[in-house]
Amino acid sequence: MSLPEFDFHAPGTVEEACRMVAGFGAKAKIFAGGTDLMLDMRRNRISPEHVISIPGIEELKTLEIASGMLTIGACVTVARVVKSKEIAAKWGALCAGAKALGSCLVRNLATIGGNVVSARPAADIPPSLMAYGASLVLKKTSGERVVSINDFFTGTGSTAMGPDEILTRILVPEPPPHSGAGYVNLGIRNACDINILNVSSYIALDGPGGAIKDARIVMGCVAPTHVRVNSAEKLLIGEKPTDALFQRAGEAALNAATPRGSAYSRASAEYKKDMVKELTVRTLAMAYREAMGR
Amino acid sequence: MKKLIRVTVNDMEYEVAVKPNQTLVDMLRYDLGLTGTKNGCGEGDCGACTVILDGTPVSSCLVLAVQADGRAITTIEGVEGKDGLHPLQKAFIEKGAVQCGFCTPGMVLSAKSLLDENPGPSEEEIREGISGNLCRCTGYLQIIDAVKSVSK
Repeated sequence: MSLPEFDFHAPGTVEEACRMVAGFGAKAKIFAGGTDLMLDMRRNRISPEHVISIPGIEELKTLEIASGMLTIGACVTVARVVKSKEIAAKWGALCAGAKALGSCLVRNLATIGGNVVSARPAADIPPSLMAYGASLVLKKTSGERVVSINDFFTGTGSTAMGPDEILTRILVPEPPPHSGAGYVNLGIRNACDINILNVSSYIALDGPGGAIKDARIVMGCVAPTHVRVNSAEKLLIGEKPTDALFQRAGEAALNAATPRGSAYSRASAEYKKDMVKELTVRTLAMAYREAMGR
Repeated sequence: MKKLIRVTVNDMEYEVAVKPNQTLVDMLRYDLGLTGTKNGCGEGDCGACTVILDGTPVSSCLVLAVQADGRAITTIEGVEGKDGLHPLQKAFIEKGAVQCGFCTPGMVLSAKSLLDENPGPSEEEIREGISGNLCRCTGYLQIIDAVKSVSK
């Protein structure tokens, strides 16, 4: 199948790109890495009149760690995150998500911003960003705003981003001492796979060997968007980490999951619920191990 | 409306008039006649259309031809040197890593990119390096042997 006809634009700056999305509105689609957009166009799910290509904008390719904050430009490729030793050292769960995405060929094109904005419930990047408490910088001609990634996803493929806005960068705070995170994705094969399920967990301890003072658990593929498991988080906070506690948190995640079971969603609802418990327990154990070593 | 782009392919400069919705793989095959790059799934899953774009292997079905403006591409036709086949190509022949041949250009380019960056990859790194290239004759083991045989 061939691509629909469209006008192609390659703005040189973010400001120029903002003016274009403001002018074209819903008639335009942003091309970041293209790994989702090209499929959607080829399968006739969308046929934009204008395609605005942004991977050439230098400002969107910033990748820096400064004053306790990791800043990832929206067009930083997933491959760059996989290769970054600095990100692996402090934000290991984010790297694990990046490594799990597509194949190396896909990762060389796919962008971190694109994987967020596409808002697919099986995506590999959003869970760990949510677990680390990331925020997103959205820009339009009249200015920019910062939103928590927790409030960003409104449905499968839809977000809180306006048609006149562009995601410019992602801000990920540095995890405090005695904290850790873990990400696990479940699929049929390692490369070029769509997840059956994915979970990312983060915990922060009140000093070495202390109680859990902060927790974030995020699950994917069990609802139209990635979701936080508030019930499990509440149950963890204030408690000393133990295997039994993690089992109870897993049980809470199982009860909170509302997966759709069909051939399309790649596994039955029952299987997904059982696995969400297992992955919650596993990712919490990973987070705990990291927290004890930091 | 077609747009005129300048692109370097296998160290040769070309000016090509391309349609906005034309993919890079189609430009290489139909406008430049470089049919070594195969058009497989068209969705970035199979790797048959792999080319090296500014030093990085990518699926050329996911790139628009207009986005190649001002950039440098290596296709399978550009891998051969003055002295004949690239050592990796020779290794593919010696190890029986080619059957139907459809995945071979992409496999060779992915493997070449891997070795250019990491001349002594482990078997796991080789498997990872070709993870985006599917072989339906299932010659993966011979392909891995071929890559290993030219690793340092």
